[in-house]
Amino acid sequence: MTDLGPATVAPPRGRAGWRSMLPRWSPKLGVGLGLIAVIALFGLLGPLFVGDPVTIRDLGLTPPGGEHPLGTTLTGQDVLAQLAHSTRGSLHIGLLVGVLATLLSALFGIVGGYVGGVVDEAFSLFSNVMLVIPGLPLVIVVSAFVPADQRGSWTVAVVLAITGWAASARVLRAQTLSLRTRDYVAAARVAGEKPWRVIAVEVLPNLLPLLASQFVFSVVYAILSEAGLSFLGLGASNSSTLGTMLYYAQNGFALQREAWWWFVPPGLVIALFGCGLALVNFSIDEIINPGLRDIPRRPRAEAVREPAPAARTDDDVVLTVDRLSVVYQVDTPVHAVKDVSLTLRRGEILGLAGESGCGKTTLAYAVDRLHRPPAEITGGSVTFHDRDGEDVDVLALRPEELRAFRWSKLSVVFQGAMNALNPVITVRAQLEDVLITHRPGMSRAARRARCEEVLRLVGVDPRRLGSFPHELSGGMRQRVVIAMALLLDPQVMIMDEPTTALDVVVQRGILREIMRLRDEIGFAVLFITHDLPLLLELADRIAVMKDGEIVEHGPAEQVHREPRHPYTRRLLDSFPSLTGERGAFVRSGEPAPSGGAR
Amino acid sequence: MTTLEARRLVKDFPVRVGLRRVKLRAVDDVSFTLVPGRTVALVGESGSGKSTIARMIARLEKPSGGDIALTAPDGSRVPDRHYRDHVQMVFQDPFASLNPFHTVEHHLARPLKLHGRAAGREETWRQVLRLLERVSLPARDVVHRRPHELSGGQRQRVAIARALAPGAKVVVADEPVSMLDVSIRLGVLNLLARLQREEGLAVLYITHDLATARHFSDDVLVLYKGRVVERGPADDVILNPRHPYTKLLAAAAPNPDARGRALDVDPAEVERAGAAAAYDHTTGRWEDVRTAG
Repeated sequence: MTDLGPATVAPPRGRAGWRSMLPRWSPKLGVGLGLIAVIALFGLLGPLFVGDPVTIRDLGLTPPGGEHPLGTTLTGQDVLAQLAHSTRGSLHIGLLVGVLATLLSALFGIVGGYVGGVVDEAFSLFSNVMLVIPGLPLVIVVSAFVPADQRGSWTVAVVLAITGWAASARVLRAQTLSLRTRDYVAAARVAGEKPWRVIAVEVLPNLLPLLASQFVFSVVYAILSEAGLSFLGLGASNSSTLGTMLYYAQNGFALQREAWWWFVPPGLVIALFGCGLALVNFSIDEIINPGLRDIPRRPRAEAVREPAPAARTDDDVVLTVDRLSVVYQVDTPVHAVKDVSLTLRRGEILGLAGESGCGKTTLAYAVDRLHRPPAEITGGSVTFHDRDGEDVDVLALRPEELRAFRWSKLSVVFQGAMNALNPVITVRAQLEDVLITHRPGMSRAARRARCEEVLRLVGVDPRRLGSFPHELSGGMRQRVVIAMALLLDPQVMIMDEPTTALDVVVQRGILREIMRLRDEIGFAVLFITHDLPLLLELADRIAVMKDGEIVEHGPAEQVHREPRHPYTRRLLDSFPSLTGERGAFVRSGEPAPSGGAR
Repeated sequence: MTTLEARRLVKDFPVRVGLRRVKLRAVDDVSFTLVPGRTVALVGESGSGKSTIARMIARLEKPSGGDIALTAPDGSRVPDRHYRDHVQMVFQDPFASLNPFHTVEHHLARPLKLHGRAAGREETWRQVLRLLERVSLPARDVVHRRPHELSGGQRQRVAIARALAPGAKVVVADEPVSMLDVSIRLGVLNLLARLQREEGLAVLYITHDLATARHFSDDVLVLYKGRVVERGPADDVILNPRHPYTKLLAAAAPNPDARGRALDVDPAEVERAGAAAAYDHTTGRWEDVRTAG
């Protein structure tokens, strides 16, 4: 072992995952932060530059201009000075409530969610009770109960915090319950970490974006509620806030006297501050759920499709993919499928093997034009050669033609499709739905008969038609999905890892079913998987894909016996033989002799 | 050398069926011994109870019956509070078992400190780099990275280093390669084997893959419905299976050398045989599994 003196590499200092927690820059975030910064600065520094807000002058209700940029109130106080002090007061209460409510919700939500059991039951019962108590009336009652002279901003803040934390606690609890079952929490427990440390170091950082969003929400809630309370005359007695300003404007009949400069500025500050916080919250939500992000799209270049749809060379061919390229148009475009050409013959099982990220699923989506932006077909053609002699240029189909084409000529079974069945609708309704959409003229009895027929084809008892998906086992659900793909008698089926999530015995049963159906019905299958041994046993021909390209293509027997590409050999070597010689799989503890990259 | 003996382990989970609460027996009377330098493979399909056994050994679940005894090298029983110094676990999914918020350094430094293997920053730092080198990672390159900046294989190596950090002598590997790309699986398994040889680790290898169980373990236990239905030396169990369930598993695994073959085991036969008796290849006898507790 090399001696690693401390001088060679210094230990890191205070590095944490903050960077990944920061929101991505976007116009929304910029505007939001800008609004907040301007208002916060105004509240913070404004009072230093404006005069005394309570000085009474003999200038009641002067319109804006001259010495008083925002005019004066009924008693001649300067509105700008009042606005500056009130903004400071409102921000003060907003921050106090934000901190208090977030602490309370974190305590009840996170601790309860993590500890579980009786503590969780008690905590969530308590937060549920707090949640159903109508907030504002309680605030009014509590505020009215405290004598007006003792009602400082702290009292109001505590009252608002107590009535405002429960909803956040529920959200945090739900998220904690999900984080608690993560493997890294289990791993920390196995490492021997104490529960409080697991919460603070493993769980809490991953809740930060959520906590931030809940904090921002509490601040908005507090400023609005405080304004409401003050407007009703129940606010803090010792400080002026935007709400008290509105209260005095209301009492001074500002509206009736058309003194808009008295009530519009505080209203506007509240609205703009709330707006700024909400915009920031959008950006925080994008960290929690990256799916909300706007995908920056590059201007859509018209795909250059040099190759015309392939002409039928041979009656035997059902699908021709010619020099197909798919690019993910992101900041640095990713060429996921590069010039891939494939032909699929009638009644053939073509296996497409490759590891994660090689582009095999992208290819499957593109052939059926199910790809979504940012993925884009940048070249090549997909031609379907119909049984009745017509050639269909799939990439040129108009939307309604494409809809008719999918499922009836070419159907797809996706990875995990069995979990895509709607859990609250019976198998029969889901199967019939396909027929109602694609075969509108079909009679009810004929539909029913067809559904029973396809279920029988895949080896599921037709009596199961009335079942809900959750009443069926995983293997049975996958059979139902295959039955669904068979409903319209397609000539091509694309199967993307159809058995990966299933146990070997169930997988074996389904594979046999696919082979039997292929023999009986004669459809062609494009079978996509990472499991090369499975393809070697199942497929007629095999294409091996790596980094978006097909590196080897040939009959299964040939790929198995004489693989030509080093990558194919490497893949083959990666699967130990169950019954054969040990080969490279001697448990020597040394890296395997052929190829150190493994 | 540390030895772990699991005796007649039972685990019941309460389940609600309508309004009634019933007990579901996930693990039923399972016994085995993990000794230094040897690997025991637990083979079975999902729901067979193999992961529950792993979690009981790692003390993430409490057994409903039976016990787990850990014997220190000097022959004395290891007290509970030192259990985790000796027994550690490698989880199935390296994408889930490393905290996305923390760096690789954090993942290794914490167990080192917790188990008193390193004191002070410099010492901890040296140990972290040493651990990364033990699992054949470019230590200085990866130590500051966060999990999402590593490939699946690299993450699993970090997870293995974390399991070794407390100085564990018993390692539970729960499907350590099933989430990895096929071309890097062998490398990770060989790494485990090398560490096992160098440190005399006792390994419990949990898998659904008969082929790697055969090549990377000494003994195989086949689990069916929470019970052991066949046990013995790896080659004996896999090449000469006796229980219909083991035969079915072996027949169902993809085998490129046998294109177009039929499945010669009828799943109904497995149902009939059930899990009432277990075949032990070392004694060469069928043994009745009595229900414990």
